[in-house]
Amino acid sequence: VKYFEDVQVGDVMRFGRYEVTREEIVEYARQFDPQPFHLDEEAAGASLFGGLVASGWHTGAMFMRMTADHVAAIHATSGALGFDDLKWIRPVRPGDVLSVESVIREKIPSRSRPDRGLVRIESRVHDQRGEDKMSLVTLVIYRRRPEAAR
Amino acid sequence: VKYWEDLEVGQTIALGSCAVSETEIVAFARKYDPQPFHTDPEAARQSLYGGLIASGWHTCALLMRLGVEANRREGIAATGSPGLDSCRWLKPVRPGDVLAGRTEILETWPSRSKPIGFVRRRSEMVNQHGEVVLQIVGITMYRRRPAAAA
Repeated sequence: VKYFEDVQVGDVMRFGRYEVTREEIVEYARQFDPQPFHLDEEAAGASLFGGLVASGWHTGAMFMRMTADHVAAIHATSGALGFDDLKWIRPVRPGDVLSVESVIREKIPSRSRPDRGLVRIESRVHDQRGEDKMSLVTLVIYRRRPEAAR
Repeated sequence: VKYWEDLEVGQTIALGSCAVSETEIVAFARKYDPQPFHTDPEAARQSLYGGLIASGWHTCALLMRLGVEANRREGIAATGSPGLDSCRWLKPVRPGDVLAGRTEILETWPSRSKPIGFVRRRSEMVNQHGEVVLQIVGITMYRRRPAAAA
């Protein structure tokens, strides 16, 4: 397990492989973002996107899934405070295969809670052609290495 | 129909409310954010959150849905978002919470090249205790009033 002490500014992580399907785009949109360009191929064709595209929040959720599987699973994280500077750079379409590149940008020890620290991580979600789809900077809570193990 | 021209700085729009169930929290998290404090009530009790909490991405998705429904009710011609300045998960969202959405217009400016305008908004979800659980500042695009109707 990687604690706050074990991640360093500049560390790069590349992970994830998420195949985006038409069915999943429509299912997410029906539940959370029922706009025509996320739901209906024909209406989407007439929109400024020129075809069905995933909800931006769905792309965020897929980013989270890849992060949960590949980072949270092996790092001592306890959730996040949120994120800054999210950009939806290009639309995500059916058939896209997404993956993530994350860079550790800053480590901020907690003043009030000596058992944890905050880590600022810049992430880019890109597709099978290497084109950026979304970028954001998350504020992740890391636990510090237990006293006995230091 | 309400266009970009109809949105004024300082205006606050109530977006309606929704209840959040344990079933929904676990279903979303199993698909998009499978961390124990989102998927397993027992493990969540042992976590620093002291019980099951919703994925922050789930709370964002619920705010999105309230926004889409409000736009439909009010006939507001929103056309998507290029990105967000910040998102903060300020308080945990727990099973049984009832969340009300609201959004305040902070800034507006027209596109130079397209028949749309931009709006910077601060959107929030507030729980049944009056606590702000989610705060997002971001940019949304709206269609301009057609020239003939101006």
